[in-house]
Amino acid sequence: MISFKNVHYRYEPEGIEALRGVSLEIKDHEHVVLIGPNGCGKTTLIQHLNALLLPAVGSVTVDGLDTQQAHNHAKIRTLVGMVFQNPDNQIIGTTVEEDVAFGPENLRLPPAEIRKRVAEALDRAEIGDLSLRNIENLSGGEKRLVAIAGVLAMRPRYIAFDEPTAFLDPAAADRVLEIIDKLRQEGIGIIHITHNMAQAALAERVVVMNRGIIFLDGTPREIFGKADELQQIDILLPQVTQILIKLRKSGLPVCTDIVNVDEAVGQIQGLIKKA
Amino acid sequence: MYDTGTFIAGQTLIYKLDPRVKLAFTVTLSIFILWASPLPIFSLGVILLLTALTNGITLRTVGQSVRPLLLFIILIFLAHALFASEVEGALFVSYLGISLGGIQGGFIAVWRFLCLIVAAVLLTMTTAPSRLVAAIKYFLHPLKFLRVPVEDIAVMITLALRMMPALLLQKKKIERAQIARGGGLRRFGLWVRAKYFLSLVLGVLLGTFRRADELALAMEARAYARGERTSAVELKIRQVDYLAILLFCLMIIIFIALNLFLS
Repeated sequence: MISFKNVHYRYEPEGIEALRGVSLEIKDHEHVVLIGPNGCGKTTLIQHLNALLLPAVGSVTVDGLDTQQAHNHAKIRTLVGMVFQNPDNQIIGTTVEEDVAFGPENLRLPPAEIRKRVAEALDRAEIGDLSLRNIENLSGGEKRLVAIAGVLAMRPRYIAFDEPTAFLDPAAADRVLEIIDKLRQEGIGIIHITHNMAQAALAERVVVMNRGIIFLDGTPREIFGKADELQQIDILLPQVTQILIKLRKSGLPVCTDIVNVDEAVGQIQGLIKKA
Repeated sequence: MYDTGTFIAGQTLIYKLDPRVKLAFTVTLSIFILWASPLPIFSLGVILLLTALTNGITLRTVGQSVRPLLLFIILIFLAHALFASEVEGALFVSYLGISLGGIQGGFIAVWRFLCLIVAAVLLTMTTAPSRLVAAIKYFLHPLKFLRVPVEDIAVMITLALRMMPALLLQKKKIERAQIARGGGLRRFGLWVRAKYFLSLVLGVLLGTFRRADELALAMEARAYARGERTSAVELKIRQVDYLAILLFCLMIIIFIALNLFLS
């Protein structure tokens, strides 16, 4: 379990606080999506997960290990993997397999074990065929999968994704989301920042941040049922929920706490049958 | 896409050689290229070029590697052509004092330089960077006793190999952005071009610093810490390497004999 207790953080000593007393618990195998306007502290929060940032006040523990203790950092960084927004600034190796090997090499694993983990990670990220390719010749989606494989080679229990589908075309974004979903099913805890509400609707839990605090926390249905509160911080509802709200306003008897397409289709089909 | 000098996976014999052997060959060849007389150098150049062509490196790739250094090559040529000390029997072509001997010297110097480029391209394009870095680390290993941070140097080389093409791409992107807004280095007078060049350099520099910052964070996130690391690469000299060393030594002995005979 990852636990935040009253975490405060500011980048500059005299600057505004990026996190203002965040308390949060993320259970093993949980799929949590973080949403919120730009600058609300989402990235700052996930960078606390593997001790890239340390709380000025409060504490963060990962499976009982306190991030304030420097001797815990290597272990914490194997427990929590981090996939940054821009893979170009995350990939270190020149070829795919070299990059994936970077983490295990830092863990000082024997060469045979490193090669085993690289093959396994490439397989899990479904990019085994790219192993010898030069990074510069890959597409944006492929680079994103290489970044994921690089993290998987560390065999983490949790992975934090900072907008993993940003700048990708729909097909590449779907491929990345499929891999994330597969990892979730394998039991890896997922912490996922997104601005895409359709993606947020698929999570087990949605945490809404605003100005460095946890604004709302609940299931997608609970969160997107609070349309007025979300509107206050300029967060749009998933498109499917917006459609149902409009249908409701036009007089059709539909539920408006629906967040995914399949349920919405069921509702509309029910109405058609009744008519 | 920028692929000059960067590794491209292949299956020919040269790919299978131990990187230490290839690195030692390249260093030996470089010394020979700078030392030997014109005829052996010319033959060696042809052999290098044929080796490159038979290993999937095209003339276009060699040309791309030469292009950024074109100005430097022209300067080498001019320096020899204009300031050649050996003018015995020289035919003075113009009042600038360009002699036939000077032109000949210029061609030879440029040929030597091109040979060095082909040798370097042959090494870098047929050796995966991690294997190349492992070979460099192997040769630097004795320096550990002098407390030289060999591991850190190896990581720095890895990052340099990774970032060079990325930075050149970034330069191209900024150039295109300048052209798209009616600027760029191609159209205007010297002063305006200097101004655009400065903004290009600043853009690339700022981008590099930002990138370095994020990269350092990403490295830390993957448990990087200065000091000892292991490597996925295991270096092993095999039969094919011994055979290559034998052939290489034979070739070098023939060339040295030829060189001594000719001089």
